[in-house]
Amino acid sequence: MTDHSATPPSSIASSGSALMKKRNRHQKVLQGLGIAAISFAALMLFILISSLVSTGYKAFYQTHIQLEVFIDPEQISADNLQRGNFDDVLLDSLKVYFPDVEGRANLRKLESILSNGAQFKLRDRVQADPSLIGETVTVNVPVSDDYDQLAKGMVDRDSPANQRKLSDIQIGWFDTLDEAGAITQPINWALLTNADSRFPELAGLKGALVGSFWALLVCFLISFPLGIGAAIYLEEFAPKNKWSDLIEVNINNLAAVPSVVFGLLALAVFIGWFGMPRSAPLVGGMTLALMTMPTIIIATRAALKAVPPSIREAALGVGASKHQVVFGHVLPLAMPGILTGTIIGLAQALGETAPLLLIGMNAFITSAPDSPLDSATALPTQIFIWADSPERGFVSRTSAAILVLLTFLIAMNAIAIYLRSKFERKW
Amino acid sequence: MYDAPNLAESKVTQDNIKIAARKVQVYYDDNHAIKDVDVDILDNTVTAFIGPSGCGKSTFLRCINRMNDTIDICRVEGDILLDGQDIYDKRVDPVQLRAKVGMVFQKPNPFPKSIYDNVAYGPRIHGLARTKADLDEIVEKSLRRAALWNEAKDRLDQPGTGLSGGQQQRLCIARAVATAPEVLLMDEPCSALDPIATAQVEELIDELRQDYSVVIVTHSMQQAARVSQKTAFFHLGNLVEYGDTGTIFTNPEDERTESYITGRIG
Repeated sequence: MTDHSATPPSSIASSGSALMKKRNRHQKVLQGLGIAAISFAALMLFILISSLVSTGYKAFYQTHIQLEVFIDPEQISADNLQRGNFDDVLLDSLKVYFPDVEGRANLRKLESILSNGAQFKLRDRVQADPSLIGETVTVNVPVSDDYDQLAKGMVDRDSPANQRKLSDIQIGWFDTLDEAGAITQPINWALLTNADSRFPELAGLKGALVGSFWALLVCFLISFPLGIGAAIYLEEFAPKNKWSDLIEVNINNLAAVPSVVFGLLALAVFIGWFGMPRSAPLVGGMTLALMTMPTIIIATRAALKAVPPSIREAALGVGASKHQVVFGHVLPLAMPGILTGTIIGLAQALGETAPLLLIGMNAFITSAPDSPLDSATALPTQIFIWADSPERGFVSRTSAAILVLLTFLIAMNAIAIYLRSKFERKW
Repeated sequence: MYDAPNLAESKVTQDNIKIAARKVQVYYDDNHAIKDVDVDILDNTVTAFIGPSGCGKSTFLRCINRMNDTIDICRVEGDILLDGQDIYDKRVDPVQLRAKVGMVFQKPNPFPKSIYDNVAYGPRIHGLARTKADLDEIVEKSLRRAALWNEAKDRLDQPGTGLSGGQQQRLCIARAVATAPEVLLMDEPCSALDPIATAQVEELIDELRQDYSVVIVTHSMQQAARVSQKTAFFHLGNLVEYGDTGTIFTNPEDERTESYITGRIG
């Protein structure tokens, strides 16, 4: 008590009593655990993204070969382009580099450097402009998957020849072409502009993107009005009794039902009873709508509940009727919350796989759908198909497709956050 | 003020009694919240409801414009007559009733809309204005009535929620008077306001008496003494005493009233 000037009063000093020490220790332990949990989650996210990027980035560029092709009028006639020997023409231009390759089998091997789609690409070009016949044109076509893997360093040149798909001679051919400057590796726009293909170098996500777009559009058009309508009725108009309690319990349960069950339901009802087409985004969208609706109902009810009762009283107090209160005041104030819930519900639907598998949206379809009634895949089912394919090229493409899907999911969630902060009101 | 002839007529026929309540009972489920309340509320008078928390004064106030209808478990029995007409009659539309019996709440609750739209909302939904000019006039009159015109006239298009607390409460009063009510119910209108804003609103209440029958629920006995001519004291759901404010505060008949006023209960 004598040296007050030197030390602060003990009652508020931080060192304090044993009780204070214990409290501080608890606080620190709790904070430490929290930070550890967050760090663990961040680490896992980092591992996920980095493993996807490290395998997926190779699919964002594609090895191409550039050839000077003489479009021989003897092989290709303008009258019958479909029957034109475009593969022979391409082979001829390859043979320029390798004059000493002979024999049918060897020539066939040489030709297999080119992607199977190369001849069709050339055909389409000549079809568009028949005056090219008899000219020499520069074509830039993908190489086939094995050579693409070689170019991307996925083939171990030192491994025994019988453990590789390409023989030493084939690797030599490729190196010769590379030294001649015929090999390029441009950005692989085909990943977004091509539909699915058996050949990895030609496979793209267009069909899946368009299919997912149609399915989500159908899902939104069904689940948004129905979900909001149901939520408004339950929250604002329905009498509170055991029936409405029962409905509420069921809706909450519905949100937790495994999605594969919805797929079985859709298979039995939409396809089995109603005879709707298999693999169609329309049916996919309807199935996803079944799943999204409970999410939207729950989010909408929460948003309606969060509108302060003082606003309802104010409107009722000046003589607004119930529906004027709901549609004029409560609903506009709840809209940001409703939209956020809807977008998050749609983002879930975008990533949903199991119900789409059951209604056949994992079919192999090589063209993008023109309407919601055409057969199509969706992004998650496309990932499923590619992950199941044996070709090496699909490994990186699977990761790339997952990255595309994640990009869309992040974009949708970002929109939800933006809407919430933009329209959030203070009262 | 918009249908003055009607108002004058009712004065003559009703002997100046605006609201007559007879044997009013209110139940929340099994809880008997208001017991046998009889009261005559006069026109052009400020009537204060006082009493300890939970005594039922707000509940009774909310019976007068049927705001209790919005609470599922609430049940009202007995008669409440407005100008001789039973407001709980099946033919009475609560929505129309609430246009005639305006209400101001404890916490200022302007709509998150512009000042103009706040005031114009009631007249719009009740079709009181035929033209934009009519509506402008109603808005101006109401804001003047609520002593807010001078502060708000240059910012009518700005949000009502941007005003200060006292201004917001006066905006709510303007919104209530815009539907041309005959009765104004105020549920602790000053409890969320600072002393200066309270003084402004109290002054306003005194002016509003010229045109309306005002019923105010308050926790502040000084406020009841300042603004009201009649006072009703509620205790545990009963109307214990009702009379001239001066009498209630200086010479109460009932022991409980005296205890409350002198601060021994409540």
